[in-house]
Amino acid sequence: MNSPPEVPPGPLEGANGGIQAGRYYGRSIPYLPIDGYPGKLIAIEGTDGVGRSIQIQLLREWLEVKGYGVVETGWTRSPLMQPTIELAKSSNTLNKLTFVLLYATDFADRLEKEIIPALKAGFVVLSDRYIFTALARAGVRGIDRAWLRSLYGFAIAPHLVFYLKVDVETLIGRVLEARGMDFWESGMDLKHGDDIYDSFRTYQNKLLREYSSMADEFHFRVLDARRSVDRIQDELRRQVEVFLEPSEKPAEPALVR
Amino acid sequence: MTFSLLHATDFADRLLYKIIPPLKAGMIVLADRYAYTAFTRDVTRGVDRQWVRELYSFAVRPDLTLYFRVPIDVSLDRLMARRVKIKFYEAGMDLGWSANPVESFRLFQGKVLDEYDRIVEEFGLDVVNAVSSITEQQRLVRDLIARHVLTTHAETVNEQSA
Repeated sequence: MNSPPEVPPGPLEGANGGIQAGRYYGRSIPYLPIDGYPGKLIAIEGTDGVGRSIQIQLLREWLEVKGYGVVETGWTRSPLMQPTIELAKSSNTLNKLTFVLLYATDFADRLEKEIIPALKAGFVVLSDRYIFTALARAGVRGIDRAWLRSLYGFAIAPHLVFYLKVDVETLIGRVLEARGMDFWESGMDLKHGDDIYDSFRTYQNKLLREYSSMADEFHFRVLDARRSVDRIQDELRRQVEVFLEPSEKPAEPALVR
Repeated sequence: MTFSLLHATDFADRLLYKIIPPLKAGMIVLADRYAYTAFTRDVTRGVDRQWVRELYSFAVRPDLTLYFRVPIDVSLDRLMARRVKIKFYEAGMDLGWSANPVESFRLFQGKVLDEYDRIVEEFGLDVVNAVSSITEQQRLVRDLIARHVLTTHAETVNEQSA
């Protein structure tokens, strides 16, 4: 890989600009130095209904059986911000800029209080979605890309980013089978029209394009999410194993669990 | 970091609902504190100086910014006279620099004032000596604003007649 500079300059760097896993993308959090922390950060990305939750659940079980300590974190799950975000979503008065900042606040809280402490303690952190979700959603809503990348400069570059890629037809089928389309997932705030189906299709197509455009920039490992749960899981485990095993061998017999 | 973003979120909401619409309508908006407060307070809490400036780059740059400057002792005296208890975050107690609220306030706000001095230069703020009497300050403030509003108003009129 590239040899990145000691302090990454400014906003998020492109594919060849020196992203280094386990370090801040851009302007760091000065009071939280993270160099040399033993934990690993693995992000699972993908749009709504792509099957992230089940994959993370299975991956977690497998890792724990192998003796790794695992911590999960997920988008908008910070105890501080979750109620506020739900409230703001329900009232429909949320400007897109405020939306972006609410998400960033939630992320900052989880980064400071969950992710960084877990990395320090040597856990494997499984992140159900990461900043790419925020970048994609905000990108679709026309927020300035350079500003977004500078904003999220305090994010830590994951060691692995898996992108569960699916086409919009498959997605529509799954979402309708599972629970139906909701207002935000359909991008109804963008006012593409009153028809939730058309809006869902348009919005998710745009999101998929945003994700694809980030694949190279952020070193996504793309997995075909149209396959069965088991096949996707096998692929995930294979790649995670290749990454984790050379760097750290947990003393399995010593772990009683 | 979270503290900083929480305030930025609140600011964005107020900017878009309370500040930009009246500006578009040609009104004068008086903001009691602005993004500069975040620059000083967040940097004192350890946030990257450049990052927070970029974060707030969506903010409208004020036509005029007045900075009321007081030495730390004067502000402490005033606060103590008005209410017994100093607020937790105002004193920077979250930073754990001192268990004594007054001492913590002195340390924290002292650093905040240093940041303000930096910002006065960087963004060209007009400094009002806030130790002087209210009447004196108000006269200076009126003077500064009057000059500014008159000029701008004249320009607007010219534009319209042109």
